[in-house]
Amino acid sequence: MQLLAEEALIDELKSPETRERAFGVLVNTYKERLYWHIRRIVLNHDDADDVLQNTFIKVYRNIDGFKGDSKLYSWMYRIATNESLTFLKQRSKKAGISDEELKTRMVENLQADVYFEGEEIQLKLQQALATLPDKQKLVFNMKYYQEMKYEEISEVLETSVGALKTSYHLAVKKIETYLKAD
Amino acid sequence: MGENEENNFKTPEGYFESFNERLMGKIRGEEETEKLSFLPKSDGFSVPEGYFQNLDQKMSSRLGDQETKVISLKTYRKYFYGAVAAAAVFLVIFGLNFNTETPVAFEDLASAEIDAYLESTELDLSSYELAEMVPIDEIEINDVVEEQLESENILEYLDENIEDIDELNLNFEDYE
Repeated sequence: MQLLAEEALIDELKSPETRERAFGVLVNTYKERLYWHIRRIVLNHDDADDVLQNTFIKVYRNIDGFKGDSKLYSWMYRIATNESLTFLKQRSKKAGISDEELKTRMVENLQADVYFEGEEIQLKLQQALATLPDKQKLVFNMKYYQEMKYEEISEVLETSVGALKTSYHLAVKKIETYLKAD
Repeated sequence: MGENEENNFKTPEGYFESFNERLMGKIRGEEETEKLSFLPKSDGFSVPEGYFQNLDQKMSSRLGDQETKVISLKTYRKYFYGAVAAAAVFLVIFGLNFNTETPVAFEDLASAEIDAYLESTELDLSSYELAEMVPIDEIEINDVVEEQLESENILEYLDENIEDIDELNLNFEDYE
């Protein structure tokens, strides 16, 4: 979205008369991008749907507090990232298992997921991703599968481009080693 | 594949044809993510048919629901005021009683209770946040390690693990 259009949309979102219509535009513009971002963190479609809706509701409720220091999309990506990670934390706490154990179970469940059409290689990729630290996994997915630019990722994760490049290369190396083993 | 007549060097197919485009992309600062041969093109996730088309409707009905709830609260406003008034009365009565006694101080908490609270509550504090709260100047290394470290042990460790111990400029007289 162009900067001017984004500013106009934010103004409309903040005004009660135009809020609903503007929110519709916002959901339409970002639903797919945010969905794929969330889906790659929580893996399951129904969970991604829940987290996505909660993300938009948070955006709707907190738009008055949006200062405009960052771009609207990076603010929403940040909310989506936090919502997804919190969702996973709550889930592991509820089940009384560690975060690592939860990640392993999530990948195991993919095999029975009707909305996962991956074959062996895709499953192995998810297993490899589950071994990475959260940050490396996020950077890898955002860069490789969501094709975001380092500058954009930098705004979302509030990390320097240099550090992101390091994370990405480390992630790629680890995934390559994992996939090429045995 | 393009081949130079004068030597045997080859270029990938379409290299020169797409050169301008790639160069201009680079000048505009566009970065391309290099596709890696060992990674699958797609990571295999899919969505139910029509999911994105129906999402807007789902969202507006969810927001609508929540707004109705907000309105319904207003009908309970009189009960709410009543409850507030009752709570205020209790607060005044008990507040006055409590004032006659010594207030509970932090020192009155048994350290076992504090320990239990810290053990059972996830504080989610980063090491920086902890460092901000804990007076770092008052902490000795022996407060945080389980086995007491004697100067001799430290010196021995450094002697074994540091290549040139003289570079540390230790004052050996302190350890004699």
